[in-house]
Parts: sequence; structure tokens; C-alpha cells
Amino acid sequence: MIERVKLLEYEAKRILKAGSIPIPKSYIPDPNEPQFLPAVIKSQVPTGGRGKAGGVVVVNTEDEYKSALGKISKLEIKGFLPKTLLAEEALAIDRELYLSLLIDKPSASIMVMANSNGGVEVEENSEDSYWKQSITGKSDFDAIGQSLADYYDLPDKTFVLQDLVEKLYHCLVTNDALLLEINPLVITKDGQVVAGDCKMELDDAAAFRHPDWDFEAEKTESNFVTLDEKGTVATVANGAGLAMATVDAVADAGLVPANFLDIGGGANEASVLAAFKRLMEYEGLKVIIINIFAGITRCDEVAKAIIAARDQMPSLPPLAVRLAGTNYEQAAELLTDHGIAIQPSLADAITAAKKEII
Amino acid sequence: MNESLLSGGNVIVQGITGSHGAFHTRAMVAAGTNIVAGTSPGKAGQDIDGIPVYNSIADIQADMRVDTTVIFVPAAHAKGAIIEAINAQVPLIVCITEGIPIHDMLQIKQRLKKSGSRLIGPNCPGILMPGKTKLGIIPANLSLPGTVGIVSRSGTLTYEAMASLTQRGIGQKYVIGIGGDPINGTSFTDCLELFQNDPDVDRIILIGEIGGTAEYDAADYIATHVTKPVYAYITGHYAPEGVQLGHAGAILHTLHESANAKTAYLQSSGAHTATNLVSLIDFVN
Repeated sequence: MIERVKLLEYEAKRILKAGSIPIPKSYIPDPNEPQFLPAVIKSQVPTGGRGKAGGVVVVNTEDEYKSALGKISKLEIKGFLPKTLLAEEALAIDRELYLSLLIDKPSASIMVMANSNGGVEVEENSEDSYWKQSITGKSDFDAIGQSLADYYDLPDKTFVLQDLVEKLYHCLVTNDALLLEINPLVITKDGQVVAGDCKMELDDAAAFRHPDWDFEAEKTESNFVTLDEKGTVATVANGAGLAMATVDAVADAGLVPANFLDIGGGANEASVLAAFKRLMEYEGLKVIIINIFAGITRCDEVAKAIIAARDQMPSLPPLAVRLAGTNYEQAAELLTDHGIAIQPSLADAITAAKKEII
Repeated sequence: MNESLLSGGNVIVQGITGSHGAFHTRAMVAAGTNIVAGTSPGKAGQDIDGIPVYNSIADIQADMRVDTTVIFVPAAHAKGAIIEAINAQVPLIVCITEGIPIHDMLQIKQRLKKSGSRLIGPNCPGILMPGKTKLGIIPANLSLPGTVGIVSRSGTLTYEAMASLTQRGIGQKYVIGIGGDPINGTSFTDCLELFQNDPDVDRIILIGEIGGTAEYDAADYIATHVTKPVYAYITGHYAPEGVQLGHAGAILHTLHESANAKTAYLQSSGAHTATNLVSLIDFVN
């Protein structure tokens, strides 16, 4: 499973600027005094639709500036309050286009996607309406600049677009980005091509070679997902596939799974304890099913972790524990010694869980 | 891909002195795998239970032929390890390492295209031929020699399917985990082709996941090329809508990638399907 780091607009635009890609003049607004006016004040929240929600406001005077800062900093958009605001010059917009670079998984290549209808209405574009082209080598940029200019109907912008795509490509690769989306790509009334907004997602797996990565945006959590706050059965498994399969089997047995949790390969006392603490927050919780199939993990280590965690949490609900794989025998002995029954299969663990729910 | 390639021949382990590498080298030897050497830069001259450690694959090749490598090196060094194996023209490369950056995989795929090497994985448990050889980390003690071919994107779910069959006395000829990463070396279709062409295999189990479109390619191949019974399960029927890739993602990643949609398509392509693994295994029985 890929962990993506979703950047806020101002963070993404800093990266664009470092890559010599044109962005609007901007500043992080000081509450007392604007650097320039008129300006557009933009809420920095990790979600779309902020324009329609009132998170983007044009200001012309100092009073408007101060009032907009006050309003937007307190405006919650889809559950997010901005920690930062961005002030930008107001562009004189002629056209709003869409341009993105992303990793196309089936072809294992980097793909350029374009649409001549950009801006806030992009969601209305049908999938078929996108212009798409894979980048297979450095010689492709000339051809892409030409075809993009034809597609957007901007015959005098061939070289500008070629240069832009080439810079975006380098930006994507050198920053280990999974997605770089410019929407809108603004053509100003005086013919400049400017990145009006930018959405960028980085591959967290590459963090080891980017010691400078320090972003306000938080990592999206994919290992723990609540499915039903009122669920009666919590699930703990290792490996995303097995964790999903555990949820599937619990639900198909007529029980209500509260969550999906993949504790990964390094299941240890701390991670099991942390998992149990989160699961205890479900008010209807009756039983926790633990389904670990050890390949690279070792069952005895998981067993020790379960025992230690249980000893620290006297109010823990009953456990239906199924372990299998590497060092199973040692684990079975440990659990049995501590009075925890061990189930031979997931089907048996579900049967045991059913008995706890009356 | 054929049985002789997957049989391993002379097998080496890259990253043999690490804790996972050493632990699983011993488990592979116990399962009958012919491990002749390992690499660990700067540790030439050491040994793991008598298996000699070299600095590089080229150094091993000065002494003996290498048919297969199993890679356990950490993600930060995995690209280098895979490229080293490709350059050394190792026919079969099994990469267990998880968390390889996607841009590294793009480069590796380019190199693979121009090579004669086959990559299984990364982020996979490898291949087990019960009673014969184990290339990776699939727990051999829960397998049983037989005639079923299993292919799966998920590591632990592969073991689950295998162990469930074993519990019912149904043996396996091949157990293959192709890995959970969006870009990998060997596809479902490659494995289906192997199973269809091997006369020893009489039933096929395919385990997919939500996300991506690999299962659609597999279903098309089943409809057009596979005459043996296929039992398919896609995990994640109760998963909430996936992580969105911005607008571009919302366009490319639709309901098409859900477990229900994939299951329906596999069924229409001639596979037997179930909505959970327990039911699927009952079906095979």
C-alpha cells in the first residue's frame, strides 16, 4: 500500500518555484499589514472545493484584507481548519486549462493528462475528454509541446508548453512525486502561462532520500480505518490483504466489523498495545479478532506482545486469537500458558467471536 | 515462465547477513532450496551456516553459476540490488523487500524490458513449490505437495489460502505471491499461463485486491486462454472508497477498482467466485 504525502498549495508551489515553473507572486499574510494589494487570500486546507466553500476571497483594501484573514482562518472546510493562509496576486485570467503529470501504473510510465476545460468545473469533464500521453524518453518533450499546443489551441505556445512539461517532469522525478496537478493552468490576458493552483502528492516510501522533507500536510493513514463506529467486532491482522479478508469474513458471518487494521510485519508489544488502545474507543465493542499469519513476522513475538498488552489493560474485551506460520508452536505454548485460547483458523476465530456477542 | 525457471537451480540470497535474510535463508534451506551463496557488501569471507558470503554477484559468478537470487536488502538499497542482478543476467530475481519507491520501480521496469531476467515482486512473499523448493518467505510447513496453483497479490492472504487447502488435504504445485505494489515484475496473467500450460496443475486459485486493474487483465486471459477451473476471491468488499489521487485520480480510479466490480467481471469471465476466503475454499473442496 502506498503512503502518500499530500502537500498544501503553498508547499507545492514552493517546489514548483524551485523548479523554475511560473507561479503567481505570493506571500504568507501578516495579520497587521499586506505586502501588496489587491490580492487573493486562499485557505490552505488539504481538500478540494474551497472556492465554493468561501475559502478563496479577493481583497482590494486593507480593511477587506483584515476582515478576510479573520474569516478564512476560522472557516472550516470539509472538517479542516487552515493552519496557514496564502496571499497571491490576482491574475487577469484569459483561459483556465488543466494539466497534470502522474504515474500510470498499468504502463509503468509517467503520463501527461490535459484538458482544455480547467478550473473549478474540472469534475464535470468526462474521462474520455482528457488528452493523455506517456513520456517514454527525453526526446518526447518536443512532440508533447507541439501536440499540447494543438490540443489547447495555443499555436504560439509550443515552446512554452514543451518547456513547462519538461520542468514539471523533472519536478515529479526529483521530488519522488506520485502526482503533480496544475489546475487551473492559467493563460493570462497578456499571454503568460502560470500555475494558478497546484496539487502535489509525494511517495512517502522515498522519504529516506529526502531528509529536507518537512511538511505541514499530514500523511494519510491507510493502516487503520474505522468502518463502523458502532461495530461490535474489532479486527487486527497483518498484511493489507489479510486485514481486508478478515473484515470480509467477519461481515459475511453476519457480524459488524468496526475497523480495518493492518499492523504490518513488525508486530511488537508497543504496536499491539497502541492498536488495543484505539480499539477500546469503540463503545459497542464486544470482541477483538486477531488474525496473524506469520511469514516474515514471528508468531512467538506476536504472542508475547498480546500477553503483555492484555496484562496492561484489565478492561480489554475478550480476544479471539488466530495465529499461524513461523514459530507457531512456541506462540501456542505461550498463549496457552497465559490462559488465552488459540484458534486454528479464521473460521474458528469467527465462531469464537460469535459466542461473545449475545 | 516455466517450472524449470521456478525450480531455482543455484540460488543466492542478496542481503544474506541481515536478520531477515539470515533467518529466511535457513528456512529456505530447510524447505529443500539449493542456496549456494549470498551477498552482503563488505562481508565477503563470512558464512551463514556454511553458506559463503560474497561482496557482489559478480564475485559469486567467478566461482559458480547463479540461476536465481532472492533479495532481502532494505528498500533504500533494493533498486541497486535488483539492477545488480539484472546486470549479472540472473534469470530469476525474487524481491521480498517492501517499500521500494515507485520511481525506482519505473526505472527497474525499463531495465527489465531490455534484459532476459524475470522479476517476481517486489513486496512479495515469493514462490513455494511444496516438497521441492522455496524462493522467499512462504511458510513451507503449512503447505502440501499437490496439483493446485495459487497466485495472489497479498502476502499473508496467500498463506491463508494455502494453509486452508492443506487443512482439507488439498495439495499445491505452485504457491506464488506476485506482490502488492502497483508496479511489479510478474503479473497474474504470467502465472495463469504457467498454470494452464503445466499438465500437473488441475485447479487454479486467484486472489486479488481492491485497487488497480490487474484483475481485469487476468479475467480477460481466463476467458480466452484458461480451460482449467479458476476459483477467485477479491479481498476488500467492505473497504471504504479508496484514497483519492486528486482529480486525476478520481478519473482513473473509479468504482471499477472495487472488489464487487472485479468479482462480477471475473465471474462473467468464467471464474468461480466468493465474497470471502472461507467460502472460496469450501467451494474448491
